[in-house]
Amino acid sequence: MADLHFQSALAHRSMPDNTSISMREISERGMIDLRGLTTDKKFVAAAKAALGVELPKVPRTSTTFGDVQVLWLSTDQWLVLTGRARVTALLADLRKALGTIHSLAVDVSDMRAIIRLEGDGVRETLMKGSTLDLISDDYAPGTVRRMRFAEIAALLHVVEQNMIDIYVFRSYADYAWEFLVKSARRGSEVKLFPNLIKD
Amino acid sequence: MIIVTCPVCNASGDETDFHYGGQAHVRRPATTDAANITDEEQRDYLFIRHNPKGLHFERWRCDRGCGKWFHAARDTVSLDFKAYYGITELPPAEIIAQAKGPWADYFKERMKAKK
Repeated sequence: MADLHFQSALAHRSMPDNTSISMREISERGMIDLRGLTTDKKFVAAAKAALGVELPKVPRTSTTFGDVQVLWLSTDQWLVLTGRARVTALLADLRKALGTIHSLAVDVSDMRAIIRLEGDGVRETLMKGSTLDLISDDYAPGTVRRMRFAEIAALLHVVEQNMIDIYVFRSYADYAWEFLVKSARRGSEVKLFPNLIKD
Repeated sequence: MIIVTCPVCNASGDETDFHYGGQAHVRRPATTDAANITDEEQRDYLFIRHNPKGLHFERWRCDRGCGKWFHAARDTVSLDFKAYYGITELPPAEIIAQAKGPWADYFKERMKAKK
């Protein structure tokens, strides 16, 4: 069997030079899909022991410890982020800690592509493809939300006020990238929300 | 446009963020042997649905959120959601009291079965 090695879904894309916000792919991040019941105290404790951080239980939040970040996906599902190189070791730790507890931990590093958007108009750009009110206080830094973006399923992670990571399924990466390049094109800024635009 | 709020994760959103799952409380004929089911019962189970003007009970899924199913009581005239409740639950008593026609019959039967 040939060696399996990761290849970015956006490797052939170059950095766009005509957009009002900066866009780049984050390919060095590994992801683990973790499922279990928060009502199971053993599961919560085991996950904390392996990850070093409590699983976020409040909807649409995230927690961080060192290079491990845990995003809330559902009441029984989390996405654990860490460096791509560390995933195998972390997954082994996690599985060892979870043992026979009714749960699931899977390496899904190649399942999604991550696009990092940065700049003053980042929220408005995303709102062109979404029904969510991204300029409201609900989307403070740290917020995680699954959403419908440009008709496809996406995961939104507000890293900082003007820095947002968008996770899309790998097969949609090219489409999402193209959509973002077009909707962020310089000169197409919406500028309906002056409090967000600092000239 | 309908604005839906998921009772599981509290996310509010446009109806395109959710998925309509058909009429609530549809029950499979209560038997373990398929030979006991008449054609009429199977037809009713698969195809026959209420079409009320006013209060209706539906299943919805928080499709682009937490992914969980839930129940909702909705007015088909005003499109207002009257109540949200868990996927394994019955509606709140005050909503059941407002049910009319086949829905009132259905809940009366369910309540009787509960006792």
